[in-house]
Amino acid sequence: MHDSKLSAGGCYSLLLILAATIGLIEYGGLIDQQGSLLITLTFWSAVIQGAVAVAALTALVRAQWIASLRRELLALYPLLLLLALLFALLWPQLDLFPWSDQPTIWLNRPFFMGRNLTSLLLTFLAGRQLALHSTSGAPFKDRYAVVYLLTFVLSQSLVGFDWLMSAAYPWISTMFGLYFFTEALYAGIAVAGLAMLLYFRPRQQIAPKQTARHLRDVGLLLFGFSILWAGLFFAQFLLIWYANLPEEVHFVTERLASSPERELCWLFLLGLFLTPFVTLLGSEAKGDLRFVSAVSLLVLTGLFAERLFILLPAIPHHGGALLLYNGLLFIMLLLVLHSSERLLPQASSERDDTP
Amino acid sequence: MQNSASAQQIEQDVLAAMSRPSRCYLACILLAGLLFLGGMALWGRQIALGMGVAGISHPVGWGVYITDFVFWVGIAHSGTLISAVLYIFRARFRTSFNRAAEAMTLFALMVAGLFPLIHLGRVWLAYFLFPYPNQRQLWVNFRSPLVWDVFAVSTYMLVSLVFFYIGLLPDLAIVARRRPGPVGKIYRLLTLGWVGSSQQWRHYAKLYFLLAAFATPLVASVHSIVSWDFAVSIVPGWHTTIFAPYFVAGAILSGTAMVITLVIPMRRLLRLEAYIPVTHIEAIAKILLLTSLIVSFAYIVEQGLAFYSGNLFEMEQFRFRALGDYRLLFWIMISCNSLLPMTLFVGRLRRNLAYLFVLSLLVNVGMWLERFVIVVTSLARDFDPYAWGNYTPSLTEIGITAGSFGLFFLLFLLFIKVLPVLSITELKER
Amino acid sequence: MARQLIFDDQQTFLQQLEQLLADGIAGEHLEVRTPYHLSEVEALLGQQPSKLPFFALGGALAGFGGGFLLAALTSLDWPIITGGKPIVAVPPFLLIGYLMTILIGSLASFGGFLLLARLPRIDALVEEQDFDAHFIITIADEVAPCTTPS
Repeated sequence: MHDSKLSAGGCYSLLLILAATIGLIEYGGLIDQQGSLLITLTFWSAVIQGAVAVAALTALVRAQWIASLRRELLALYPLLLLLALLFALLWPQLDLFPWSDQPTIWLNRPFFMGRNLTSLLLTFLAGRQLALHSTSGAPFKDRYAVVYLLTFVLSQSLVGFDWLMSAAYPWISTMFGLYFFTEALYAGIAVAGLAMLLYFRPRQQIAPKQTARHLRDVGLLLFGFSILWAGLFFAQFLLIWYANLPEEVHFVTERLASSPERELCWLFLLGLFLTPFVTLLGSEAKGDLRFVSAVSLLVLTGLFAERLFILLPAIPHHGGALLLYNGLLFIMLLLVLHSSERLLPQASSERDDTP
Repeated sequence: MQNSASAQQIEQDVLAAMSRPSRCYLACILLAGLLFLGGMALWGRQIALGMGVAGISHPVGWGVYITDFVFWVGIAHSGTLISAVLYIFRARFRTSFNRAAEAMTLFALMVAGLFPLIHLGRVWLAYFLFPYPNQRQLWVNFRSPLVWDVFAVSTYMLVSLVFFYIGLLPDLAIVARRRPGPVGKIYRLLTLGWVGSSQQWRHYAKLYFLLAAFATPLVASVHSIVSWDFAVSIVPGWHTTIFAPYFVAGAILSGTAMVITLVIPMRRLLRLEAYIPVTHIEAIAKILLLTSLIVSFAYIVEQGLAFYSGNLFEMEQFRFRALGDYRLLFWIMISCNSLLPMTLFVGRLRRNLAYLFVLSLLVNVGMWLERFVIVVTSLARDFDPYAWGNYTPSLTEIGITAGSFGLFFLLFLLFIKVLPVLSITELKER
Repeated sequence: MARQLIFDDQQTFLQQLEQLLADGIAGEHLEVRTPYHLSEVEALLGQQPSKLPFFALGGALAGFGGGFLLAALTSLDWPIITGGKPIVAVPPFLLIGYLMTILIGSLASFGGFLLLARLPRIDALVEEQDFDAHFIITIADEVAPCTTPS
C-alpha cells in the first residue's frame, strides 16, 4: 500500500513522462488530426485549478466545510505544472483557431501563447506556495490563498475567452470568463467528492462525526453549485435566445441542429443541474457516500460534455487520442489524490480543527 | 454558554437603544422627514403637470428614476446576503448585522418599488401590471422583462418580510416582557403567542433554515432579472451576457457599503461596540472588497470584449462611456467602485472604521453613478447617429431622488427605536 | 398540579432534563421552554424531525407549476405574438415559474410553521411569562396531563 504512493520527485518525473508521451503522440505522426489536446486541456484545467481553488477558498474563509479534504485537494498542485507543459505543446497547432490567419491585437500567436503560458505558470507557482505554506505548520496567511485565487480567476478567464470562446471567433459572450471559473470551482468540489471515495472509510474510523459532516458538506456544495450553475447557464442562454441576433444565436442553433452536440447538451444539462439537484435535494442523500460520489462523477462528465459541446463543431479531433489523454490524466489525478499524504507530508495546523 | 447575568446584560444593552429619543435623533428624523416630504411634493407636482417636468425624453427615456430603482433594489441585496446566505454558510459574524441588514432590505425595497410607479407617469394605472382576472379581459405580457420585475420584486419583498418577521419573533417576546403597559401588549400580540417551547423551537429552526435556503437563490435572481430589463434588448452596452452576475455583484457591493454606512454610526450612537466588534465589520469589508473585484472584472471584460468583437456599435458605446460626454461620471465610478475599494487589501484600513465609513459613502456614490452611466449612455448613443442625444436630470428628478434617501433613512431611524436592532436571541445563543 | 422547574443556566438545565427523563418521566409529560433553540433538547426528548420540509416542497412544486401555467395559459387566452416570441415562450415562463417556486415555497413554509407550532396561541397572549430569560421545565400532572400548565 505504502509503496504505491508517489513522492514529490516521482510525481514530477511522472508528469514529465506523461507530457512527453502526449507530445510524442501529437507530433510523432501517430494521429492524423490534432485538436484532442486542446479539448483535453480545457477540461483538465478546470478540474485541477478548481480543486486547488476550492482548497484555497475554504482556507481563506476559515471554513470548516471539507476541511478534512483540504490537503488532498492542495496536493494536486504539481498537476498545475502539467497544464502548463501540455499547453506549451499546443504552440505548433494554433492554426486550429479560426483567427490564426487574421491575427488581431489580442488574438495572435505570440501573445496568445505568452499570456496563457504565463498565467498557467503563475497559477502553478501560486498553488505551490499555497500548498507548501499550508503544510508548514505556521499560522495560515491569507495572502497565499488570495494570490492563488487571483491567478486562478485570471487563468480560468483566459481559458474561457481564449481557449473556448476564440474557437468560435468572432462570436462573443461576456460571461465566458466568469462562467468558466465558476465551473472550475464546481469541478473542484466534484473532485472533493471523488476524493471522499478514497478517504471516507479510513477517516470514518478515526473521526466518524467530522468525516460524516464533511461528506454532507460536499453534498451540500454540489447541490448549491448545481443551482448556481443553472442560474449562470440560464442567464447566458436567455439573453442569446431573447435577443435572437443572427450573429449571436448561430452559436446555439448550429450546435443544437447537429447530432452529437444535441445529445451532449442534454447530457450536460442532466449532469450539471437536473441530476445533482434532484438527487441531492433530500438531506439523506447529501450524507450518502454513494450518492455524493456518483453525482461527483456525473458532474465531471457533464463538464466534459459541455466542453465537447462548445468545441466539437469548431475544432477537429482524434477520438482515440482524446480518450487516451483523458484516461491518462484521470489516472494521474487518482494517483496524486492517493499519494497526497506523501506529497504534502505535514498536516496543516488548522485542518484537524475539531468543531 | 452564557450565564443568566450576561443574558440580562444583552437584553438591557440592546433594548437601551429603544429608550427615549435624543435631540440629535429627533433632528435626524426631522431632516429625513423633510427630505421625504419634499420628494413627495415634487412627485405630486409631476403627477399634476405631467412627465415633462422630468428630464427624460427622446432618446433617453430611462433616466434617474430607473437609476434610482436599480440602485435601491441593489441596496436591498446585502440584507438578504447577510441574513440568509451567511446563515447557510454558518458565518458567525452575521449576528452583528442581520437584523439591521434585513430591515434595510425591506426599506430599500419599499423605496425601490416607488420608482417604477414614479416613472410610470400615470401612476393610477399601476394595477395593470398585475395578472388578475378582469373585465378588460387582458393579461399581462409575461414575455416582457418588466413583468418579470414585478414578480421578482414583489416575491423578494414578501419573502424578505416573512424572513424578517420570523427572525424577530422570539425578540418580540422579549420586548413584550420588558415593556410594561399597553405598548408591551402590542408587542405581545405581534408574537402571536410565542412561548419558546421545544415544540415551537424545532419547527422554528427548520423554518429559518428553509427560508434562508429559499432566499439564497432569490437574492441572486432578483438583481439578475433587474439586469435583464436592460440586457434582453439589443442596445449596445446593455445586451451582454455578463449582466446578470455583474449586477448581482454590484448590488451586493452597494448593499454592503450601505450596511457599513448605517452600522458604523449606529454602533457608536447606540453604544453597541461590544456586540458589533471591529472584526465583524472587517468581515463585511472583505465582502465589499470581493464584490468590488467582481465588478471590476466585469468592467474590464465588458470594455475588452467590445473591442475584441470588432463590433462597431459596441466599440463606439464603450469609447463614449470612457471618453464621451459622461466621462467624468464614468471615471468617478471606476475610482469609487474599483480603485478605492482595493485599498481594503490592507488589513489596517479594513479595521479603520472612519476610513471604512468614508469609503462606504464613496462606494454608494460610485454605484449610483454606475447605474446612471449604464442606463443613460447606452440610450444616448445607440445605433443611429440621427437619434443620439444627451440627458441631464431635472430638478424634479434630483429632488425625488433626495426624497427617496429621506424616506429610506426615516424608515431606518424609526426602526431603531421600534424594534431591537440586534438579534437578542442569537446573541444569547452565541 | 403541574410542577415548574426554572433554571438560569443552560448546563444545569440540560443535566436536570436528562435526570428527569432518566427517572422515567415520559417526554410527553414535559413541556420545555428555552430562550433559544437547543438541538440537545430535541435529541433528549426524542422528537421527530420537523415535517416542515414537506410544506416547503409542496409549496415549491405548486408554485413552479402554478407560475408556469399562469404565464402559459394567460398567454394562450389572448394569443398575440409580441417581440417575435412564441406564444408559450418557455424560457421566460420558466422564470415566472421559478419566482413563484420561491414565493409559494416560502409562504407555504411559513403557513406550515404556524400550523405545526400551533400559532397564534390565544392563551399565551395573555399569560405572564418569562421563558425568554430562563430555561423552564413544566412537568404535567400524571393524573390529568391534558390540563394547561399554569
